[in-house]
Amino acid sequence: MFDFKIVTSWIDNLLRVDLGLDNFWTLAIEFILVGVALLAAYALIALVLIYAERKICAFFQCRIGPDRVGKWGLIQVIADMIKILTKEIIPIKRSEKLLFFLAPFFVIIGSFLTFGALPFAKGLHAIDFNIGVLYILAVSSLGVIGIVLAGWSSNNKYSLIGAMRAGAQLISYEISAGLALMTMVVLAGSMQLSTIVESQADGWFIFKGGIFALVAFVIYLIAGHAETNRGPFDLPESESELTAGYHTEYSGIMFGFYYVAEYTNLFIISAIATTMFLGGWMPLHIPGLDGFNQVMDYIPSAVWFFGKCAFCIFLALWVRWSYPRLRIDQLLKLEWKILMPISLINIAAVAVAVTI
Amino acid sequence: MENLKEKIQAIAPSAVFEENTQVLTVDVDKNELHQLAENLKNDESLAFDYLQDIIGLDLGDALGVNYRLFSTKNNNQALVVKTKTDDRENPTLHSVSNLWQSANLYEREVYDFLGIKFIGHPDLRRLFLRPDWKGFPLRKDYDIESNPVTLKNESVEEFEGSEKLELDSNGHIKESNFQLFDDKDYVVSFGPQHPSTHGVLQLRVSLNGETVKHIDPNFGYIHRGIEKMCESYTYPKILHLCERLDYLSAAINRHGFCLCVEKALELEVPERAVYVRTIFDELTRIASHLLGWASMANDMGAITAFIYGMRDREKIMDIFEETAGGRLFTNYSVIGGLMQDIHPNFQKRVKEFIPYMRKMLKEYHTLFTNNPIAKQRMLSAGWLKIDDAISYGVTGPSGRASNWHNDIRKIEPYAAYNKVNFNEITRENGGSFDRYMVRLDEILESLSIIEQLIDNIPDGDYKAKTKPIIKLPEGEFYQRVENARGDFNIYINSKGDKTPYRVKFRSPSETLVSALEPTVKGEKIADLIMIGGSLDYVIPCIDR
Amino acid sequence: MKSLINYFKSLFEGIWNLLLGLKISMTNLLRKKVTEKYPENRKTKKQFERFRAQLTMPHNDKNEHKCIACGICEMNCPNGTIQVISRMEADPETGRNKKVLDKYIYDIGTCIYCNQCVSTCPQDAIAWSQDFEQAVFDRDRLYMQLNNPNSKVIEKPKPAPAPKAAETANN
Repeated sequence: MFDFKIVTSWIDNLLRVDLGLDNFWTLAIEFILVGVALLAAYALIALVLIYAERKICAFFQCRIGPDRVGKWGLIQVIADMIKILTKEIIPIKRSEKLLFFLAPFFVIIGSFLTFGALPFAKGLHAIDFNIGVLYILAVSSLGVIGIVLAGWSSNNKYSLIGAMRAGAQLISYEISAGLALMTMVVLAGSMQLSTIVESQADGWFIFKGGIFALVAFVIYLIAGHAETNRGPFDLPESESELTAGYHTEYSGIMFGFYYVAEYTNLFIISAIATTMFLGGWMPLHIPGLDGFNQVMDYIPSAVWFFGKCAFCIFLALWVRWSYPRLRIDQLLKLEWKILMPISLINIAAVAVAVTI
Repeated sequence: MENLKEKIQAIAPSAVFEENTQVLTVDVDKNELHQLAENLKNDESLAFDYLQDIIGLDLGDALGVNYRLFSTKNNNQALVVKTKTDDRENPTLHSVSNLWQSANLYEREVYDFLGIKFIGHPDLRRLFLRPDWKGFPLRKDYDIESNPVTLKNESVEEFEGSEKLELDSNGHIKESNFQLFDDKDYVVSFGPQHPSTHGVLQLRVSLNGETVKHIDPNFGYIHRGIEKMCESYTYPKILHLCERLDYLSAAINRHGFCLCVEKALELEVPERAVYVRTIFDELTRIASHLLGWASMANDMGAITAFIYGMRDREKIMDIFEETAGGRLFTNYSVIGGLMQDIHPNFQKRVKEFIPYMRKMLKEYHTLFTNNPIAKQRMLSAGWLKIDDAISYGVTGPSGRASNWHNDIRKIEPYAAYNKVNFNEITRENGGSFDRYMVRLDEILESLSIIEQLIDNIPDGDYKAKTKPIIKLPEGEFYQRVENARGDFNIYINSKGDKTPYRVKFRSPSETLVSALEPTVKGEKIADLIMIGGSLDYVIPCIDR
Repeated sequence: MKSLINYFKSLFEGIWNLLLGLKISMTNLLRKKVTEKYPENRKTKKQFERFRAQLTMPHNDKNEHKCIACGICEMNCPNGTIQVISRMEADPETGRNKKVLDKYIYDIGTCIYCNQCVSTCPQDAIAWSQDFEQAVFDRDRLYMQLNNPNSKVIEKPKPAPAPKAAETANN
């Protein structure tokens, strides 16, 4: 299996030995390179996802979806992006200016920080903390600040209601998401994402962990969905009630930030689910079938990772385009009365099972 | 009947019964009106609990008001109470809004168009026109130039306050103003541009967190003055205006107007036309209920369900287009019959559509009705008790969900409805889910009506011969039809000309919106939108 | 205990119904798509023959139409869409003055397709076309003259049939 370490260490060598740079400059250049690569990937993934969502949503609804710009409408998203970049940013007269312009950056930074910590393929991992899971949980909840600030600073009643809903929703569902991931941490015995992936070499957790892992997986998907504010949990936006919720007053690239963040968050949730439950970039290995395992190993690790992500994303789209939106009390009931008790029981059971 | 007359005579000695009218009509003095109304409503043996409509008229020297009453407990006995006031400068009448909730909006409408002030009305604002509108447009002496169109950005007076007229102990009229909303209220405006108001309606809602405290609908954004236009149009020309009231029940409204004119002319319509009209009505009803279902699903966030509803509605639109040439506005019934004969493919297409629709309905139930999210949401909000439904005049599927048997196809069968077997769909509880289910069940019922008729369309003419210029005899004519939203009533007052003297349409949607207040109070914002979807009002029908 | 059983029963029922809902959307994903690809299918796209797109005045190959400029359509139009401009011309045979169509102006911008004009026309001189592509760049082009330049009315074989009046009554 191709290890991306080869590429990264070659670059490192090139800078240190061939060009003879000292440690500071090597690291500086490497950081910039990583940053640029991640930014590009971030934008690219958002574009691909927007296209995928529009197409798949259309197919669920017996429509064709975008098919005018480019073959099968492939350039549509790029055209939309150009449009959104060139649109005017409208400052709202009675808004809280500083916070109003700051809010989208919170959202985008929150999701970008999480994005950086994902293991995309074997050896393709920007930051590999030993507390990776904790880090991901911490930074991914930064986004809620941006949303609440947006709602507050817009000085718009719809936005405020949307932001309040977002606050209640995101804080609640953080608990279930965290508990579900903790279940897997208990199984893996580590919080480091690379270790978690490595420990799934002989079978993904969703298979190894049995019913516990399955329950945790489902709970994580639901909670993750809720955290990304996507249907059926799109209460903060709830188009038919609050027109556009917290980002009603945003336009141009400011709105674009929310839009892009929404889709990359979807990707991030799927990527975390992939890493924690579906073995990350680890190919499908069945113990005992060596021939089969070898064939699986020929498929590049990035393909495995993105394929699994695509599967999770498809699940998310499928659910989104089938169900109506929950009401705020139903939403909180679902979390506090169903998901949280179940995940608490689940984590306790896993702990017991692992100790035995 | 005689019994009823005697009782009315006893209560109101001034009562005069009119001869040769369609329904029992009584003229009373305006001072005895409230007394009579109170007795009509509260007396168990009379029990006129449903005020269908209040029709304001300019009688030339006086301003008149017709109250159209029905007794739901008493075999749907109908009664028209007429009164008038001679004072054109400062006309006043006693309000009946304390007896029937539906009178609240109707009296505001009469005040808006004819300037009659109702003493005791809790909230006497203009209903459709702006507060700074000059004059009262339905008066015959109204100067059409008195409100020139300006393109300036005028500052619109905030509709915060309202007027109230009361009688003090000496019998003098006392005017007082009051605030609609408290200064501390968190008032959110839904509409006029909002994805879920089903048209250009403004709902101002005061909130307590997510909970709705008070709701105030504001109409008139797309008021076109159709009733005023009708006064200068000949009868065939009015037909197309009827379609543009409730655009989702276009064919039914048009049919109703044709029926009213035919009744006045005592014109015999060929059987073939009667059958085809009935089929068209039922197809329209299905299309409208489908859209109602779809947009309710959309209001609850299920956009896919919305598209499915629209997709299947398209089949009906195609059937319409092939036979009538129009889609939303079929433009098919004319006075005396049909515009043209049915298309040779019509029967085949309809017969293909029936099994398809049945199959799709099952899918709808699996996709949306049984979805626990949707079901719990619908089952937990929006209750409307039967008494409230009658008092607010909530007719149609929404009223039947509260177990009020108000289907006009059963009460006063018109067209071919007495030739077919069908059930009046009613449900017990009057919740959002019941209103939702009544609609879907009515689609099935309509399919069975169409099934019974489609193979039995009799041969013969599709249109009766009419005179080139249609003149209605002098008199007042009423025709009720059951459109997709309920009791649609057409009132024509003719002076024998080729144009009517006064036309009034009773809009079922108007009462549906007024019923938001009792159903939504204390529920969440999300429920406000959902209940709005379950009531399924169409705004152009209100803003006539 | 009972409430606990109910809790799980409703939970699993809910999950089952949610899955059934997913199944429906998946079957629809696999179904044939209903979108019409409009400009591409322009050649094959056919409107229903009764579809009312635009009022026309059919002319025969001798550039003759049937309109006698009686103005019934103009009178019956609810929106004032039609304007019949006529002139008086002496009939070469009888020498009597006769109304002759000068211009038949149709404003499609205000037309509501109510069919009153066509159904009341005593001569069947006007008809609907199915050409629904009506977008123009200039509002002035919504005013159309339906009769061709220099067109004439078809000379009827004499004597003119009397029972026409009865047909006029058809509406």
